[in-house]
Amino acid sequence: MNTATDLNVAPDAVPRLPPRTGLGQLAWLRLRRDAVGMASLVIVAAFFLLTLGTAVSWIAADWAEVKAPSNAPPGRHLPPVQAVVDPSAVADPSAIPDPLAGVLAEIAAQTVVAGSVQGAESWLPLGADRWGRDVLAKVLKGTQTSLWVGVSAALVAVFIGTLLGALAGYWGGRIDDALNWFYSVLTSMPYLMLILAIAAVLNQKGTMTVVLILGLTGWTGIFRLVRAEYMKQRVREYVRAAESLGASHARRMFGHILPNISHVVLVQLSLHVVSFMKSEVVLSFLGFGVAIDDVSWGSMLNESQSEVLLGNWWQLAAATVAMGLLVTAFSLLTDALRDAMDPRLAHRRGD
Amino acid sequence: MRRKQAIMAPEGNRAPMHRSKSWFSQVLSLIPAMLVPWLAMIMMGPGMTGLGVQQAHAAAPEKARMPGEVRKVLRITFQAAETGFDPARISDYYSGMVIEAIFEPLLTYDYLARPARLVPNTAESMPEVGEGGRTWTFRLRRGIHFTPDPAFKGRPRELQARDYAYAIRRFMDPANRSPYAFLFEGRIAGLDELAAQAAKSGRFDYDAPVAGLETPDSHTLRIRLREPDLGFAYIMAHSLTGGIAREVVEAYGAEVGAHPVGTGAFMLGQYTRSSRIVLTANPGYRSERWNFSAGTDPQALALDEKIVSVMRGRKVPAIDAVEISIMEETQSRWLAFVSGDTDLEYQLWEVAPRFMNGDGTLKAEFAQRGIRLHRSVDPEIVYLHFNTGSTLGEGGAANPLGGFTPARIALRRAIALAWRIDDQIAIIRKGQAVKASYPIPPGVAGHIPDYRGILRHDPRTANALLDRHGYARGRDGYRRQPDGSPLVVRFSSMPSERDRQFDELMKRSLDAIGIRVDIHKDHFAELIKQQKQCRLMMRMSSWIADYPDGDNFMQLLYGPNTGQSNSACYRSPEYDALYERSRRLPDGSERDRLYRDMTRLMEVHTAWRITDSRYRNVLTQPHVVGYKTHPVMPAVWKYLDIDAAAASNRRDVR
Amino acid sequence: MQTYLLRRLLQSVPTLLGAILFVFLLFNWVGGDPAYVLAGKFSSPEQVEAIRRQLGVDQPLYVQLWIFVRQMLTGDFGLSWATNEPVANILATRLGPSLTVLLPMLVISTVIALAAAMLAARLRGSLTDRMVMVSCTAGQSISILVYIIVLQYLLGYRLEWFPVQGWGNSLGQNLLVYSLLPVLVGVLVSLAPDIRLYRSFFLEEVRQDYVRTARAKGLGEARIMVVHVLRNAGIPVITHVLIQLPALLTGAFLIERFFSIPGIGREVILAVERSDFPVIKAVTVYIAMATIAVNIITDLVYRALDPRVRLE
Repeated sequence: MNTATDLNVAPDAVPRLPPRTGLGQLAWLRLRRDAVGMASLVIVAAFFLLTLGTAVSWIAADWAEVKAPSNAPPGRHLPPVQAVVDPSAVADPSAIPDPLAGVLAEIAAQTVVAGSVQGAESWLPLGADRWGRDVLAKVLKGTQTSLWVGVSAALVAVFIGTLLGALAGYWGGRIDDALNWFYSVLTSMPYLMLILAIAAVLNQKGTMTVVLILGLTGWTGIFRLVRAEYMKQRVREYVRAAESLGASHARRMFGHILPNISHVVLVQLSLHVVSFMKSEVVLSFLGFGVAIDDVSWGSMLNESQSEVLLGNWWQLAAATVAMGLLVTAFSLLTDALRDAMDPRLAHRRGD
Repeated sequence: MRRKQAIMAPEGNRAPMHRSKSWFSQVLSLIPAMLVPWLAMIMMGPGMTGLGVQQAHAAAPEKARMPGEVRKVLRITFQAAETGFDPARISDYYSGMVIEAIFEPLLTYDYLARPARLVPNTAESMPEVGEGGRTWTFRLRRGIHFTPDPAFKGRPRELQARDYAYAIRRFMDPANRSPYAFLFEGRIAGLDELAAQAAKSGRFDYDAPVAGLETPDSHTLRIRLREPDLGFAYIMAHSLTGGIAREVVEAYGAEVGAHPVGTGAFMLGQYTRSSRIVLTANPGYRSERWNFSAGTDPQALALDEKIVSVMRGRKVPAIDAVEISIMEETQSRWLAFVSGDTDLEYQLWEVAPRFMNGDGTLKAEFAQRGIRLHRSVDPEIVYLHFNTGSTLGEGGAANPLGGFTPARIALRRAIALAWRIDDQIAIIRKGQAVKASYPIPPGVAGHIPDYRGILRHDPRTANALLDRHGYARGRDGYRRQPDGSPLVVRFSSMPSERDRQFDELMKRSLDAIGIRVDIHKDHFAELIKQQKQCRLMMRMSSWIADYPDGDNFMQLLYGPNTGQSNSACYRSPEYDALYERSRRLPDGSERDRLYRDMTRLMEVHTAWRITDSRYRNVLTQPHVVGYKTHPVMPAVWKYLDIDAAAASNRRDVR
Repeated sequence: MQTYLLRRLLQSVPTLLGAILFVFLLFNWVGGDPAYVLAGKFSSPEQVEAIRRQLGVDQPLYVQLWIFVRQMLTGDFGLSWATNEPVANILATRLGPSLTVLLPMLVISTVIALAAAMLAARLRGSLTDRMVMVSCTAGQSISILVYIIVLQYLLGYRLEWFPVQGWGNSLGQNLLVYSLLPVLVGVLVSLAPDIRLYRSFFLEEVRQDYVRTARAKGLGEARIMVVHVLRNAGIPVITHVLIQLPALLTGAFLIERFFSIPGIGREVILAVERSDFPVIKAVTVYIAMATIAVNIITDLVYRALDPRVRLE
């Protein structure tokens, strides 16, 4: 890494540093002085820990269980009683023979008509959803899905955008023309149409589909930025120097230039995490949300859409607050990161 | 625009590149040229400013009104966009409602009588039936006229028998690709041959004689059927079979769907597609007075008598206009109704607990405001159907649910028994449906109210059945096929929030018996395609009566209807034999006996799990009088009125 | 200049062709076969075949593609499969309502966002700046779905400040009555990200040499902000606003559905649901054209506002 160049750009920002400190360390030092940034980092980290907890089933593993009556408000509740056998189960007689009659008679003879089963009482601080599931557990479990969707979709988008942007910006010429053409085709298509079409191609297989829809349609902005950066960097001296030392194209593209524009990529990554977590809500509205054995904030918001009119506000509120908290923290962290990582901006604060 | 471009081009060529003081203005005027189609579209269409209103008719004279009299407008909503108003081309419910208000079939239904009873409409009297239901002779009332239209060149145009014959022919014209052609297919002597000929030649000959479709004089229509059919009168009361003028159809061509010209109580006024449809009272409508008697249903007697006492003798239609807004979202429809922006609303089952008590009565806060609730069960059934074919489509993959071996029947039976019907009604329907077990819903001839079937919620028996038929549980808790291969059943539904609830219910139901379910999502067109090709395994469908006769429902399981309406692809020789016998019988106990046996056959083979019939909860504002829900005739707007005194309290009286 | 424009127009041809090819292949692959729905509840395979023939979907792909290209050139996309109405008619009636909501929304949110961003940029680093930024970030974190549901319920129904939903016949009524709440929701949703973005544009300019020069000359801070900084920061702002427009035409579908506005976004969803290919094709082509046009206009505006930019 060419630390020297970067230090030269903003020498006054980090006055007393050992001369060989890396860019990452510099950024970290700057970030640590940003109170809002650090607070956001703590919140985001807490959410990631939570996700880890739900992923290994320490937290909210029983979110799909029925704990209370349908749409029960916050409080202590018993699960609804399940009648075991319908008492009015005598059918009208008929001359039509039932091929299963013999087996059914055997089963009926062996079945002990048991009474109803009553589950244990539980405390639902955020109420229950329409099936009687604990909204708090759903919010926690939903965090995992939403965060996972946001992060992996952003990774997909960043990967595609960076790769194509690097190719276009580094090589220029025909490759650039072709990729630019692809870029302008995608961006000139109505986004909604693109989403509906890609959703239909992938044909609803759950969370992975959501990730792919968002990732495959959301990389264009990153492509544009990375391409511009590569065009700028490829003529810089350090790249020329690497070339004269016999570095291959791939090595120059990803070994030399990429680290120098990593701050751009990283900021884009976290910006996209945020925007994809929000897009997941709209995808859910369009019917392309997560699978039914999964829960996300988007699916919760859509579920509660009609419930709010019935006065069942808790699910909407819970998902909105949880999402608001994480997205706000994530956005503020992104701002802080951007400030910390872009040496050019380092002196802006005091400007 | 194009001319401008031509002039500017050479000028621009002369201009040196750097001298570009005026280039900016040049550019701005060039851009539109490039965007010719885009801008032309904006300018050509009247819709630039939301003024995009098509005047469907030459301005009809406004009805003469006393000064100071309020215009009585009934404001309602549709939950989905209409598709057009050509009776031969539409199939959706909402377009059908509008068509019902504009076009008039020969027969119609009594407004109050239940079960629904046919009465003459534009026919003078009920038809003469000959040869045991083979010939049907309708005589038209004289002096009924179409609403004025430029296609009539200024002359009044009387409704005649040929307009009905023409309407029937139009259903069979392949160019119209009528979704409701089935109403007449295979029924009328000589008509199918004409259609077959048209399919070959590419042109339907409307002037060719059809043996079964004769007009001996201008006001007599004689129809001869291929086979006797006692239910044919219902067809001629279907809302899409109204008389239509050939001049109009030919004048408007493909756009006739936006120019419906009928003889009905209303005509199309302002029309902004998929957004707003205004129907205005037909000023030339025959002078008809409201004259119905209370029905025989003792429960409805009090309501009927009240309606009769208020409405008898009033002009039909009593209101001046119906204003229809298309609103997709329930929140919007509900808020619009409670804030008084609409007068009549029924598509509210998601929010029903907001205005209804558990016992189905209106909550006090709304009752005090004078809002009324009219509750009835729709003539529909909702059912989960299993594909009973042994493969998924012709030559497709093996269908783990299909066939009639005991193991396969047991698997379907287990799923049917596992279905959490109580949750469906309480949670998804919010209590706004009744459990159903008979294929013929209430309000339809042949319905048996207290029928008890063999399919009910009983997961314990379901599990035992599967255990005994070799569906052993694997280590993951899910069952495998008797041969040890994995068992996954597929449930198909659309990507919508409501369908997601059914997906969840399916999963909860099947998890209880250890069957792994795969949710297959596709859009409507694709699902219908695959269903008709028997490529789906399970799907929920609903069927609402086209006409109030049980045959309309029992045909859903008739083997030869596979690929058409038989979505379970159910082929049972016993069922088919019973069905063919039932076709030859009138409604009555003998036919009911056959229907019972057919129902039991369907149950023991478990082709369907019938789940429920939905309530129709119609809310009306205090000023709406004379409303009663009709089971098969949804557009009853001409029989109700708006109480001007009560309406003056309304926010925006016009 | 002329050559520049010509070149840009020529460049847009492959883009347009690409968009056509893309939407064509995509929807042919997954768009669903509407013939079965159009054929009705009872339909024989022969009827379905006849309908497919009528729609032209039985033709080889290259023939269908050629028809599409021809349709684009003539601007005539034929009749909607679902309603049998000319597609041009459908879109024309949809554009007005969309713009009636979108234009006021864009104007209002741009003006407010500019003012707030300028204030924040001027007071950069202060408590006010931080408060504005944090509240914007928080406001931005709430889903548009929640905004719509809550505001429609509170402001429309509970407080009766606005009609809950609806659409009228006259521009005046639509603008002054029905579009108020949808515009408000739209502004609230777009305000937060706009302020954040514009603030960064301003900050970019504030650090430029000309600002130092102006300050050195003793110009007032307010004058510097309004006259110098706004003028230069205005370029990316205009770009941002213009580029949003075509995307918003289809992107405002949530607002359109909840407030019953007969706009383009709602039509797109309807068309996809109904597998109405002619409408899908027409919308794609027109939006693509609009996007390309906006891009060119943006470049020209750049040029007009900033003489340093050269159009080659």
